Amino acid sequence: MRIAARIIVLACLLTLVAAMPALAGKLDDIKSRGTLVAGVKDSQRPFGFVDEKTNQIVGFEIDLMAALAQRLGVKLDTKPVTSSTRIPMLTQGAVDILAATMTHKKEREDQVDFSITYFMTGQKLLVKKDGGIKSVADLDGKKVGSVKGSTSEQNVKKAQPGCTVISFETYPEAFLALKQGKVQAMTTDESILVGIKNSDDKPEAWDIVGDYISPEPYGLGVPENDSKFRDYVNLALMDMWAKGEYQKIYEKWFGKDTKDYIPLTWKMEYWP
Amino acid sequence: MAYQFDFGQVVSGEYGQWLLSGLSTTLHISGIAIVLSLGLGTMVAVMRLSKVRPLVWAAAIFTEFFRNTPLLVQIFFWYFGSYSVLPEAVNQWLYARDFEFACGVIALTVYTAAFIAEEIRSGIFSIPKNQLEASRACGLSFIQAMAYVILPQAFRVIIPPLISQFLNLIKNSSLVMTIGVMDLTYMARQIEAHTFHGFEAFTVSTMMYLTISLIVSLGVNLYNRYVLHVRSR
Repeated sequence: MRIAARIIVLACLLTLVAAMPALAGKLDDIKSRGTLVAGVKDSQRPFGFVDEKTNQIVGFEIDLMAALAQRLGVKLDTKPVTSSTRIPMLTQGAVDILAATMTHKKEREDQVDFSITYFMTGQKLLVKKDGGIKSVADLDGKKVGSVKGSTSEQNVKKAQPGCTVISFETYPEAFLALKQGKVQAMTTDESILVGIKNSDDKPEAWDIVGDYISPEPYGLGVPENDSKFRDYVNLALMDMWAKGEYQKIYEKWFGKDTKDYIPLTWKMEYWP
Repeated sequence: MAYQFDFGQVVSGEYGQWLLSGLSTTLHISGIAIVLSLGLGTMVAVMRLSKVRPLVWAAAIFTEFFRNTPLLVQIFFWYFGSYSVLPEAVNQWLYARDFEFACGVIALTVYTAAFIAEEIRSGIFSIPKNQLEASRACGLSFIQAMAYVILPQAFRVIIPPLISQFLNLIKNSSLVMTIGVMDLTYMARQIEAHTFHGFEAFTVSTMMYLTISLIVSLGVNLYNRYVLHVRSR
C-alpha cells in the first residue's frame, strides 16, 4: 500500500515538473502574470541607480522598461542585477528581460538573445587635461586603467599593443588611480566616462579624448530561442523611436540640460 | 531554458591561454610571497623572543597589527595609501614599473608573516627552555643558539600549521586582482565577462587552485616525513 502511495505521489510530482516549463513563451507568461520583471543596474548613473530621495531605482534604462511595460499593458517590477549575476538570472527565469548596460557581443550569444541596439556608445579615454595624451597612439608604454567585467580591456590592448592595462573593481578606484598618476588614462564607454568626469570636484581638469576605440552597442537581454518575445521587444523599441518617445527619454537623461550630456548622434535600426 | 555548459570554449584557444597566464601569475606571486613571508615571519618571531625591549615591542605591534586587519584593506593601503607618503619622484619611478605586482607581494608577505611568526613562536615555546640556556652556556650567541639548536627543532613541530599558512596565502593571492594583478581569479572573471560562461571558467580555476594546494601540501608533507623525521632518528 505504502509503496503504491509513494508511486502515485512521485507520478504526480513528475507530471508537475514536466508541465512546469510553460511552453507558452515569455510574452504570455508576462501577460498572465501582469508584471514585467526587468533586471537593471542599481549603481550605474544615469542608466540605473537608486534615487537618494525616494529610494527607488531610476534611470534611462528604467524609463525604457516602463515604456515597454506600458505597451504590454502590465506593471513594471525592477530587480537589481550586477554584471556577473545578470545572465544566470535571465537563464533561470528570475527576470524576463535585462536592461543592464550590456554590450551586444557575438561571444555572448550562446547564453541569451539580444534585442536591437537601444543605446550606442563607444570606448574612449579619460585623461588629465594637458597630460600629453590626445589619442590611443600616445599610450605606447603607458598604463591604462579600466574596470573588470567590461569589454574595454581587450579593445584598448588591440588598438595599442604597447600599453599595459590595469583593471580595477569599480570605476571610482580606476579614477583614483588616474588621479594619483598610477595610470595615465582610463578607458571605458564614453557614456560612463562622462558620468565619472562630472562626479569630480573639478570636472574641467579632465578630458575625454580620442576617436572611438571600439563601438559598444547596448542590447536588451532576452531569453534564448523565444523569437515571439524578442520580436515584440524589437518592434516596441522601433515604435518608441518612431513616435519620438525614445528621444524624450534620452533627452531626460542625456540631454543638454543634464550633467551627463551626450548628443544623440546615431539612429536606431529600423525595419521597413 | 537551462544554462548551457560549454567547457570547450573556456579551456581552449584564447581563453585557455588567459587561464594559463593567470595560473602562472598566481604561482609567481604566491611563490615569492611564501619565501619572503617565511623569512620575515622567522625574523619577527626571533625578535619577539629576544631580550631587547624595543625589538620585542616592534615585533608584537607588527604581529598584532597585520594579523588583525583585513587583507583586502592592507592591499588597498599599500597600493593607494603609499601615494601621499613617498615623494612624487619616487612615486613616478615606482608607477612606471610593475607596482601592482610588487604591492601584491608586499601585502601577502606581511599579512602571512604575522601569522607565521605566531606559529614559529609557539614552535619555539615547545622546545624545552633549558636547551637555549645550555647552548648559551656552551658559548653560542642568542642568534647562533636559535639558528643551530632551537629553530631546526621548532620548524619540525610546526610544519603542519605552516602548510596551512602557505595554502591560505595561495588562496588569499586571489585578492590581488583588486589592484589589477592579472591572476587566475582575475582571468576567470574576465572570461565570464567576455563569454558569459562564468560557471565553467570558475570551475576550471577552482580545480587549478585545488591542484596547486594539494601539490604544495603533499610536497611539504613528504619533506616533513622523509627529510626531517628520518634524519632525526
